[in-house]
Amino acid sequence: MKKTKSVVVVGSGIAGIQASLDLAEIGAEVHLVEKTPSIGGRMAQLDKTFPTNDCSLCILSPKMSECARHPGITLHMNSELLSIDGESGDFSVKIKENATYIDADKCVNCGLCEEKCPTKVTDEFDAELRERKAIYRYFLQSVPANYVIDPKYCLKITKGVCGLCEKTCPAEAIDFDDTDKEIAIDCGAVILATGIDAFDPLVYGQYGYKKFPNVVTSLEFERMLCASGPLMGHVVCPGNDKEPKNIAFIQCVGSRDRENAKNYCSSVCCMYAIKEAIIAREHIKGLDATIFFMDVRAYGKDFDRYYERAEKQFGVEFIRSRVAKITELPGGDLRVHYANPDGSKDTRDFSLVVLSVGIQPRKDIQQLAENTGIKLDEFGFCRTGEFNPLDTTRPGVFVCGAIGGPKDIPESVMAASGAVSRAAKLLELKRQEKVSKKEFPPEKDVFGDRPRIGAFICHCGINIGGIVDVPSVVEYARSLPNVEHAEEVLYACSADCLETIKQAIVEKNLNRVLVAACTPRTHEPLFRETLREAGLNQYLFEMANIRDQCSWAHMNEPEMATIKAKELVEMGIAKARRLTPLQKLPVEIDPKALVIGGGLAGITAALELADAGFRVFLVEKEPQLGGNFARVKFAFNGGDPQAFLAEKIREISDNELVTVYTGAGIKGIDGYIGNFKTTVALPDGKSIELEHGVVIVATGAREYETEEYQYRKSKRVVTQLEFEKLLAEGYLTGKPIQNIVMINCVGSREEGRQYCSRLCCAQSIRNALKVKELRPATDVYVLYRDIRTYGTKEKYFGEAREKGVIFSRYDLETKPTVEPINPENPRSKLRVTSFDPILGRKFAIDADLVVLAVSIDAPAENEELAKMLKVPLNADRFFLEAHVKLRPVDFATDGVFVCGLAHCPKNSAESITQATAAAARAMTVLNKMVIEAEGSICEVNPELCAGCGLCVEVCPYAAAQMDEEKGVAVINEALCKGCGACAASCRSGAIDLRGFTNQQIYLAIDSLETVEIEG
Amino acid sequence: MATDKNNDFTPNIIGFLCNWCTYTGADLAGTSRLQYPPSILPIRVMCSSRVDPLFLISSILRGADAVLVGGCHPGDCHYQKGNYYTRRRFALLKKVFDTFGLESDRIRLSWISASEGPRFAQVVTEYTGKIKELGPNKYAEEVFL
Amino acid sequence: MSGKLKIKGDPNDSIRGFLRHLLESGKIDGVFALGKTGKGLNYLLVTDKEKVDELYPLFPFMPENAANLLSRLTFSGPLPGKIAVVIKPCELRAFVELVKREQASRDNLVFISPVCGGVLDFVQYKNDALEKSVPGYMKSFAKRENAENIRPTCRACEYFIPINADITVIPAEEACEFYLNTDKAGEITKGAPGDLSDGELDEAAFEPLMGSRKAEKEKLFEELKLEDYGIKGLVEVFGKCLGCHGCMSVCPICYCALCAFESKDNEFTPPVFESELTKRGGLRVPPNTIFYHLGRITHMGISCVGCGMCSDVCPVDIPVSSIFLRSGDAVQKVFDYLPGKDIEEPVPLSTFIEDELTEVED
Repeated sequence: MKKTKSVVVVGSGIAGIQASLDLAEIGAEVHLVEKTPSIGGRMAQLDKTFPTNDCSLCILSPKMSECARHPGITLHMNSELLSIDGESGDFSVKIKENATYIDADKCVNCGLCEEKCPTKVTDEFDAELRERKAIYRYFLQSVPANYVIDPKYCLKITKGVCGLCEKTCPAEAIDFDDTDKEIAIDCGAVILATGIDAFDPLVYGQYGYKKFPNVVTSLEFERMLCASGPLMGHVVCPGNDKEPKNIAFIQCVGSRDRENAKNYCSSVCCMYAIKEAIIAREHIKGLDATIFFMDVRAYGKDFDRYYERAEKQFGVEFIRSRVAKITELPGGDLRVHYANPDGSKDTRDFSLVVLSVGIQPRKDIQQLAENTGIKLDEFGFCRTGEFNPLDTTRPGVFVCGAIGGPKDIPESVMAASGAVSRAAKLLELKRQEKVSKKEFPPEKDVFGDRPRIGAFICHCGINIGGIVDVPSVVEYARSLPNVEHAEEVLYACSADCLETIKQAIVEKNLNRVLVAACTPRTHEPLFRETLREAGLNQYLFEMANIRDQCSWAHMNEPEMATIKAKELVEMGIAKARRLTPLQKLPVEIDPKALVIGGGLAGITAALELADAGFRVFLVEKEPQLGGNFARVKFAFNGGDPQAFLAEKIREISDNELVTVYTGAGIKGIDGYIGNFKTTVALPDGKSIELEHGVVIVATGAREYETEEYQYRKSKRVVTQLEFEKLLAEGYLTGKPIQNIVMINCVGSREEGRQYCSRLCCAQSIRNALKVKELRPATDVYVLYRDIRTYGTKEKYFGEAREKGVIFSRYDLETKPTVEPINPENPRSKLRVTSFDPILGRKFAIDADLVVLAVSIDAPAENEELAKMLKVPLNADRFFLEAHVKLRPVDFATDGVFVCGLAHCPKNSAESITQATAAAARAMTVLNKMVIEAEGSICEVNPELCAGCGLCVEVCPYAAAQMDEEKGVAVINEALCKGCGACAASCRSGAIDLRGFTNQQIYLAIDSLETVEIEG
Repeated sequence: MATDKNNDFTPNIIGFLCNWCTYTGADLAGTSRLQYPPSILPIRVMCSSRVDPLFLISSILRGADAVLVGGCHPGDCHYQKGNYYTRRRFALLKKVFDTFGLESDRIRLSWISASEGPRFAQVVTEYTGKIKELGPNKYAEEVFL
Repeated sequence: MSGKLKIKGDPNDSIRGFLRHLLESGKIDGVFALGKTGKGLNYLLVTDKEKVDELYPLFPFMPENAANLLSRLTFSGPLPGKIAVVIKPCELRAFVELVKREQASRDNLVFISPVCGGVLDFVQYKNDALEKSVPGYMKSFAKRENAENIRPTCRACEYFIPINADITVIPAEEACEFYLNTDKAGEITKGAPGDLSDGELDEAAFEPLMGSRKAEKEKLFEELKLEDYGIKGLVEVFGKCLGCHGCMSVCPICYCALCAFESKDNEFTPPVFESELTKRGGLRVPPNTIFYHLGRITHMGISCVGCGMCSDVCPVDIPVSSIFLRSGDAVQKVFDYLPGKDIEEPVPLSTFIEDELTEVED
């Protein structure tokens, strides 16, 4: 029953934001409910993100702004979910909007009230490292940006005295008569994205948290590192205000701890500790960083390379040990007591200890479960199914983000988009006719006007301002011709700074804008939209990259960095003088999808899209659907993967909207978003041409064909997937199988495959448990390098040890060996020899069977497909997404998406999540009738064109064509992608690329070398 | 040409960097905090094939000490084959430079992918060293342009 | 098709007879060839057989590269009738380049081109001294040697045997030989006066000329010492340039409607003057002379046929044609490209090979 296009999203961290944006783009009316005064959630508190060290707020900020400005999203700030009544597709949700005593529409964020407020409160956003007032802004870059009053501490509210703020406020925004309001929202679905809490380490008395001031949590440390945090990024020990000489990170605080009911792995701490160690070393020269860990769980895409860089390039020390206790030394330094691998005890002294606190369900999760009628799992996370990772126990209520269990940012983003696909089918969503719901003021005609340029130079906290002398760059910009206005801004991308830019455009009558900040690749769209909001054509904007390609790259040469920043600003201004308004061409969307690959991911994506009413072509190269998943025999929860798969395949064949081509290959892909044409080679030798609007790449991966450990030489050596087949076929039944040895990381995490295959640790343990279930007498040995049972899979690691599975670690330098006991006999049992670091010696097992957890390999064919789609691969040949944190299913090329093993190794639940996400991302395109083409495209000046046709020959998109009648070239604007190959091939300059014109580039070149060197 | 405290010659290298690979790689070098000399002044283009050889001639005549053209590796072009044209145009220009004895080392074509932040830093570092050895571009002082 | 037609008479007489016959027999509708215009020599297009007498098709002179003229005649479409075109090998090569670049149409044209002994220069033309030079010229050519007073670029030209001509003519004092290279040539020569026989052009007979051309080219390049120019050399040599752009207007490869270097986009704006002066303390006005010459080489070098017109028109005697021949030769070698050789072969900058030129990557 589809009644409404309204949907409620609870929680506005990165998951809630992504879900809201995707839903709004599909055409839903989103009510985003947030408890705090700002959206952004946990990610807004982070300094940097792994494994790219991207500045967290820098990449989040544009999304926050976009979310707040999207006409399809209504924000309910300071609000809580009270109840969900009704049923899937027809809910009535009650929320409570708490009184903030401030009219957000009136508040101008001037901060005068805050100055006058006499009440100081510890600030929860800054991890209680700083004090704020009772009237406050949640954080510097809050969205929305208005102030709120904390009624728990406000003297006027608690005691009826004071009221200074009300007297001070110039905007008359303060309203002490404000009351809590209950609101009912009719909606078709609810998405819960309320996130997690950080573990409170007080229960670990032995670590002295709160007792020893120089023991801090990782979240506190994150705020200490952050340039906009309480210490402005200048890390000092809280106990003695000294810069630390060395820092210890203690892992698994509140994770992998059965005694404290935390029998799960928090999944993110290893990586964030490595990140914090690297960043801390950047902040403090000569700092030593040591990480005390149990296993380094660098299981994600490109995580292992990051781990390796930390160790080899940044000199971070890793000690495999559980820390017993911490004691304080006179002066505030700390002594860490720990055990060596051989059991001997040791101590080390540190200036600062960071407890890598785990993720735990929110304290109020029980209340939420009751309010929403959903069930929780044994850990207090939201209960989901192994094959339905986004569905709660209540139909119509979905989850995303870490509420369903520990997740990092990209996994949360994937789950968010995934939940959108699940929810979308319950909503009444028509294909949208108009390009943008958002209304912009009419564009001011600047034709013929003298350039009046506004230059905004961003500090980016201390990211730029800490190195580049921003005020002098502003002065320099101001001195340049046509610059009517120049000013410095703290964070150009924050909502209040965007407002500043808009005001300046209006007040100073600016007709060109330059922002010198980070990279236009991520931030140009945001600023362009700001121009539109101020009534300027969005192409009258130019960026100078003075952070990524200046301050960050020349940190040790502040003077030279400042000169370079001036030069970059001057080049930008030179180009800006010649910017002209451009218009975008509407492109019609063919509402059909091509899914390449019919494994678990492809099947899931195809079904999600078909369920939402879109026509899907599913192309699989094998004669049948199922991919690798067809070989998976067991699930952790006792579920039956093959029954699940059979059901899905039946759904596919029953669904009229899905056409399946098995035994088929992709021969060629032409076209662009909304209008692809793909040639598919069919098994009968014929080929067909499919027309579609989007492409989802779900081509999967395969088991590595190893030459190690007697594989393919002895029948007694099999891979884990082959072993599952043996088990399912009764390998253990009635046979005296004595010893089974599993070897992990075969091919993974070594030269040539410097990545973790992610799912094999859990797979080994699952199969080991299966052996123990089927034949407890059989001994199972697991030889591993690190056990990476991240998330709630950790409990099975414990269970396996309980059931007697023997785990022995090996290093890359001391790999196990496998030799036949009797080389003459091809059926001989195998002797496995390995060095155990705890025993300190070698040991040997005579194995009936050796099971190899081989790495997951990206197929060589990926290269061909990548070329056809014009999308990139990473160094390991997996498809490279548009952004590893925030665009994990998109490619840079519009209309093409990726999911499943084609993206990187992942387990079946993760593949399902990503495939569902890919479907949702595809829907954001397919559910529109038109989108807009690029405005920066080529044009021909027919007066100058000699009609030589070189442009026609070099154009890869057939956009340049000859007008035979007139003897000149013409550009098809819908086909032109704006590469400019034709413009550079045109000798007479008859073709030019709008937005990158010859003149603009010459002027940028000409502006060279006029920066005066001071001193 | 700028000079630092020690009066060392710091060349001005104009970098025509393609948006999808080399510019992204340069951003990555920055996010990874890889340090390289502040010699390079990037001009972002969507594709290296946008780079008209005249841009390079103009840059050198106007006094840039060097020009780096950065694009996607062959076969990786976001626009399918733009970088192949870039390479042909560049080969032609380099030959013209060589034919006139014009220090063709002052122009360089490098393929740097979006994931090659370290390579970007290394290319800029190494190229800056090379241009330092060559010395300032004499054209910057020439009256007859 | 191959065949040889021998017609008695001095070169211009024999070819006039041939052309007159073609017109009379209706095999062709017109002739495009050099002719007398008062005291001058210019290309003429004639359709009346009586006017053939005014033609001097094999006169060793080039008042303008004929490819330019043919481009103007055929740019908007083929000429209505069939035209016999008598032009020099380099002009024909330039014409082929223009056809590749959609600037001319080959349809309805029959190309007659001589094995070329080079052409006399503009100085002799200005001094009305052309006629005087011809006997010596013919004598040298008969000996398959370079004549004394031909242009430097011609002395160094290795492509004096026409490529892509329908009919190749070997001019000689007593009788001209017409080699029929194409079916089209065979068709129109049917019933022509003279002796028709089998036979192909004996290129080996021109070995001596080729030998001296190659030696002259080597010498020319050596004396030019282009690779020693550097910035200093460019300033030195082009210091004389008046900026008349005559070299560009006579160049057959410069077909642009408006040359990029004459467009407003390349004019200095006041801020650019300011920054340039800050840098240099002085500036030649107008600027951009070196930019013009270097840039033009990147534009036309790949298709330069070395016709020598640019030097002929240069009022200040900059050896532009030698410079362009040398640099054109260099860039053409990069792509193993001979301009005008193959009408089907794409212009190098409009195509590529995936695995090539890795030596220019760094």
